Amino acid sequence: MMSITRLFASLVTKKLNILKLTSNYVPRCTYGLNNVGSNDPGIEIEEKKIVEEKTSLAMRAYLQRATLYNNFMEQQTHEFQVGKRHLANMMGVDPETFTQKDINEAIEYLFPSGLYDPKARPFMKPPSEVFPPKKDAEFDESGRPFHVFFYTGKPNFYLILHNIATKLSELNKFEDSLRKNNILPDDNKKLSSIGSQWLSKEDVEKLTVEKLSDYEYKHFTIAIERLLKHPCSYKYVEFIAQYQKPMITTKAIMESSPVEYTKDGKAYVTVKDCPRKSARADVTVFYPGTGKLSINGKGIEFFDDIQAREQILFPLLFTDMVEKVDIEATVRGGGISGKAGAIRFGISWSLRSFVEPETVERMRIAGLLQKDYRRRERKKPGQARARRKFTWKKR
Amino acid sequence: MALLVKYSKFGSCIKHLFQMSPQFAAKYSVYPPHFGEPIYKKQELDKLLETGGIENFKLIPFKAAKSNETCSIFHDPVVSKFINYMLIKGQKKLARQVLEKTFEQIKKIQLAKYNKETDPEKKSSIIVDPVVILKKAITNCKPLLKLTPVKRGGSYYQVPVPITDKESTFYAMRWFVHCGREKDKSVSFADFMANEFIQASNNNGRVVKKKLDLHKQCESNRAYAHYRWS
Repeated sequence: MMSITRLFASLVTKKLNILKLTSNYVPRCTYGLNNVGSNDPGIEIEEKKIVEEKTSLAMRAYLQRATLYNNFMEQQTHEFQVGKRHLANMMGVDPETFTQKDINEAIEYLFPSGLYDPKARPFMKPPSEVFPPKKDAEFDESGRPFHVFFYTGKPNFYLILHNIATKLSELNKFEDSLRKNNILPDDNKKLSSIGSQWLSKEDVEKLTVEKLSDYEYKHFTIAIERLLKHPCSYKYVEFIAQYQKPMITTKAIMESSPVEYTKDGKAYVTVKDCPRKSARADVTVFYPGTGKLSINGKGIEFFDDIQAREQILFPLLFTDMVEKVDIEATVRGGGISGKAGAIRFGISWSLRSFVEPETVERMRIAGLLQKDYRRRERKKPGQARARRKFTWKKR
Repeated sequence: MALLVKYSKFGSCIKHLFQMSPQFAAKYSVYPPHFGEPIYKKQELDKLLETGGIENFKLIPFKAAKSNETCSIFHDPVVSKFINYMLIKGQKKLARQVLEKTFEQIKKIQLAKYNKETDPEKKSSIIVDPVVILKKAITNCKPLLKLTPVKRGGSYYQVPVPITDKESTFYAMRWFVHCGREKDKSVSFADFMANEFIQASNNNGRVVKKKLDLHKQCESNRAYAHYRWS
C-alpha cells in the first residue's frame, strides 16, 4: 500500500500529467474500414476534439481530505518534536537521546495523576500512535473503485470473509474428492484451537483499517472457527494462523516465590497484600509445621461462618498439607467472605514453593492461583439497584 | 467441534470447552472470554489426568474458584445451588444452617426407619444419606415440559414447550423452596422439609403432585402445541 503522503504527491503530479497528455495529443489521420488493403486513402475522418478530462468529484474530495489530514499530521509531528525537546531540557537530558520511555517517565513525574483509568491519565506519544491512520484513496481519478468489495463499505473486512468462504467451499470439494476415492480425511492432521485464540476485535480493526461492529466481529469468529473445524482444514494452516495469536502464558503463576529461612532453619514464604473484595491479608506459611493456624492472633474460630472456614482449608486440603504447614495471617478491611478469600489466596500463593510443579498446575486449574477481580457492581442512575429497574408505569 | 468429538466422553470437559468459547461468554463478566471455569474437585482432576485431557488446559487461564466452592468431601454443587435458591436477602449463613438442620432431621427419620426394619432386604434399600435423598427428590420432581404464554389472534394461549435439564432442575428446586415457604407457622422449616424430601424421594408428596399437575395441564393444552412454531 502506498502511504498517504506519497500517494498524495504522486496524484498531484499525475493530475498535471493528465492535462499535459491531453493537450499534447497529436491528432493523427485515421482511415475508414472501407479502404483496407488498397492504396486509396479513402475518406478522411474528421479528427475529434478531445475534451480535457477532469478528475472525479470523489477524487477531488479525497484530495482535499488528504491535504487537510497531512497538514494536520505534519503540524502535530512538529509540535511533538518541539515538545519532546522542551521536555528533555526540563529533565536536563540530551534531547537527541530522549526516548519514548524517558518521555513516559518524565510525564509521570511532572504530571502525577491519581486517576484510576490509565486512559484518563496525561500522556505524550507520537501523533501516528494517537490519531488513527486513514485509508489511501480507494478509487482512481475517474472515481472508479480499485477494490471489488468497495460498495460493501468495508472492503477489507468483507474480503477476509470472502476468502474464508471460498476456502471453505474448496475444502468441501477436496473432502468430496477424497471420499470418492474412499479415503477419509486424516484425523491426526486435524487442527485444534488449543493454546491459541482468535485476533481480538481491535486487532482485526487494525488489520483492516475499518471500524467493525460487535455483530460483524462475531460473524468473523464464527466463520473462521468453522474453517478451523473442517476435517481438511490442515490444507490452510497458514491462512488460519494469520488470524490466530498465542494465549498468554501462565509462566508467572508457575514460578514460585522465593523461600526464606527462620533462625532455627524453618522455611517460610510471606505474601503481602493478598486481595479479595476490599480485604487485604498478609500471609506467612512455615513449611515443616504441625498445622497451627493463627488469624489476627486467633485460630480458625476467628471465623464464625463454616463457609469461611472451608475456604481457609481449601488450598490445604487440595494439596494435602493440612498438618504439614503452619500459617500466620493478618487481615484487614472487608467482610467475612472477603477476609477468608484473601487468606485463601495468600495460602495457595505461598504453598507453590512447597509443592511439586504438577500440583501447582492442578491448583491453577482449580482456580486457586487466580486473583479474584470481581467487585461489587455499582448502582446506576435511573435504576433501583445495579440491575433492578424501577416499576414501570405507562402513565 | 473437533474438540468436542475428541473429548465427548466427559461431560464436565464439554461444559468447560463451551464456556471458554467467546460466543458463550457472560455479558458482564470481569474475566476475558477465554478464561475457563475452574475444576476444583480433586476426583474430576484425577480423571482428567488419567485420560491426558489435562494437557489441553496448559495454556488456558482459569477463573478463580468462587467463595462457596471447595474440594472438601462435604461440598456438593447441588446442595450449594439449593442453598442459593432458598436464601432470602443474602442470608446465606442462615440458609445453610436451616438446610443442615433439615439434613439432620432427614438422617434421624431415616435412621429410625432403618433400625426398626428387621427384613435385611428392605433394610438395605433404605437410604440414610440426606444428600442422596435430596438429589433423588429433586430428580423425581423435574418436569419434562412447561407452559409458556403465546399470543395468537389477540388472546394468550398456554403452550406446552420442552425445557432444558438446567431449567427443569431450577423448577424442581424452586417448587421445594415455595413449598417450604407455604408451610404452617407452627411447624419448623427443617421438620417440614425433611418430610417433604423423603416423600418426594419416594415419588409422592406435594412437589411431585405439582409436577404431575403441570404435566396434566400440558396434556390438556396439547392442542395448542403447534403455536410454538406457527
